[in-house]
Amino acid sequence: MNIKTVKDAFIIAALKSIPDLKRNPSMMILIGLISAFPLFFIVVFGGQVSGGLVGAMIANISFIGLAAAIQDISFDRYMKIREMIVAMPVHPVSYAIGVAMAPLFISAPGLIFFICLAIAIGALPLVSLGWTVVALILCWAAGSSIGFIISTYLRNASVYTLNNMANILGLGLVFLPPVYYPEELLGTYRWIAIVFPTSNATGLIRFYAGLTKMPVETVLLRWIILAATVIVAVIFLSFKTRWRED
Amino acid sequence: MVKSVDAVVTEDLFKTYGGKEPVQALRGLSLSVKKGELFTLLGLNGAGKTTFLRIVSTQLSPTRGTVHVLGHDVLAEVDEVRKHIAVVPQDVQTYSNFTPWEYCYYFSLLRGMSKSRTIEVSERALKAVGLWELRNRTCVGLSGGEKKRAIIATALASDADVLLLDEPTSGLDAVARRRVWAVLRELVEQGSTILLTTHIMEEAEMLSDRLAIINKGNVISEGSLDEVKGLAKEKFRVIVEGSLQDLGLQNHNHVSKFGNKQIIYVGDEDEGLDLVRRALKKGLRAEIARITLEDVFVKLVGGVEDN
Repeated sequence: MNIKTVKDAFIIAALKSIPDLKRNPSMMILIGLISAFPLFFIVVFGGQVSGGLVGAMIANISFIGLAAAIQDISFDRYMKIREMIVAMPVHPVSYAIGVAMAPLFISAPGLIFFICLAIAIGALPLVSLGWTVVALILCWAAGSSIGFIISTYLRNASVYTLNNMANILGLGLVFLPPVYYPEELLGTYRWIAIVFPTSNATGLIRFYAGLTKMPVETVLLRWIILAATVIVAVIFLSFKTRWRED
Repeated sequence: MVKSVDAVVTEDLFKTYGGKEPVQALRGLSLSVKKGELFTLLGLNGAGKTTFLRIVSTQLSPTRGTVHVLGHDVLAEVDEVRKHIAVVPQDVQTYSNFTPWEYCYYFSLLRGMSKSRTIEVSERALKAVGLWELRNRTCVGLSGGEKKRAIIATALASDADVLLLDEPTSGLDAVARRRVWAVLRELVEQGSTILLTTHIMEEAEMLSDRLAIINKGNVISEGSLDEVKGLAKEKFRVIVEGSLQDLGLQNHNHVSKFGNKQIIYVGDEDEGLDLVRRALKKGLRAEIARITLEDVFVKLVGGVEDN
């Protein structure tokens, strides 16, 4: 990977986010509000606000990341923009990373807000910030990779099907597993939290923030599984992804 | 190994799309496009034009055969090829939130240009296609033709040596089309090479330095406009409005009928003028003209059966 590859990834991320943000800045607020929405119920009906804030961070970064990975790839293919990019001196890795990074630009303000709020109310000790960022990055990478797998393996599906699938999956990964609620509620099924990258990362952040307890081996296992999700997804992608079609 | 210094050289190119029922899109296609010329590919829908262009533009692998762009193999030297080409795909659509300026700007940046150079080429390209005044309007507020011109401007701003344009003017009105024609010719005069496909025969006649007609995945005719037109035995066409029986031509071998109108192809001008005189005497409307590229194309690909 050379400097141009990195630079091109940023150009693609800018291309895919800045015009949208310029014309539709409320997108940033909307993403933040969607992520903050469950916090309202947690406050009203009683729940762990600190844990909910961690959920909001994860939701903020995951939902749009996964959706963008599916929608952008399929839309570019549908609109033949991808054909223009393939025929340019742009590395496919730049394109993939750029597409994955674009939603980060959109969700960054909300994410920063939730992190600051969590720090302000003492839900996120400053010492845990490093681990939190790593877990968020891995969660983003896992969500994007899953999105790429879907758009790659279902390349013959209609763009509308993929669009709906992206939204359903995004919401499902954020609201079904224990992202907003404590995974202790799952009882003996608590292991489910490790399966989903969203709830897995949530659990790790909560652990480092001191909001939940778990054995060190479990923490290690969770990191391995989160990283493995990304690695396995990339391996799957390498089998099927073709920058130039056969 | 450098095969040629021509802009595009293909040899014995085959492409078969797999699946339950494999489709052979290209069957041994060979042609060459010289540097600095505008070369047009004509063919029926499904003849293999887009497949060919997608192989040349490094988007699709051939099943067999070779393609070189400015001497670089599209399979072995893909990065080098991509530095020299720009593409306008068929039926390309625009991001609704993008402005023509953003198209040119971002896509030029991706080619590795500096910011100042990007601004310079974007301005030049948008002025060339007549979109400078609309450069900051989002595509959602542009007409179909303006969107198409925004994409063409993106290709122009690339500064690429070889432009590969797949039906770039389809859907444009006559005025917009002619504006694009002028831009394309100007680019060629400045040294660019353009390989374009079109279904608009007038476009091919007006623009091409050379052209090729492909049918069922192979070249059936290649050369200058005069050379391709020269392949037809008939050199003139007479359009007659009315019944051919009145002229005793109901069994003429080279007639295309369209309701009450028919085109009668004749070998020379005298024969055509004689036919016009006879038709006028019978009170029919008739006119004579040289055969068009469309006439030759239809005859070569067998799209319409003669009487």
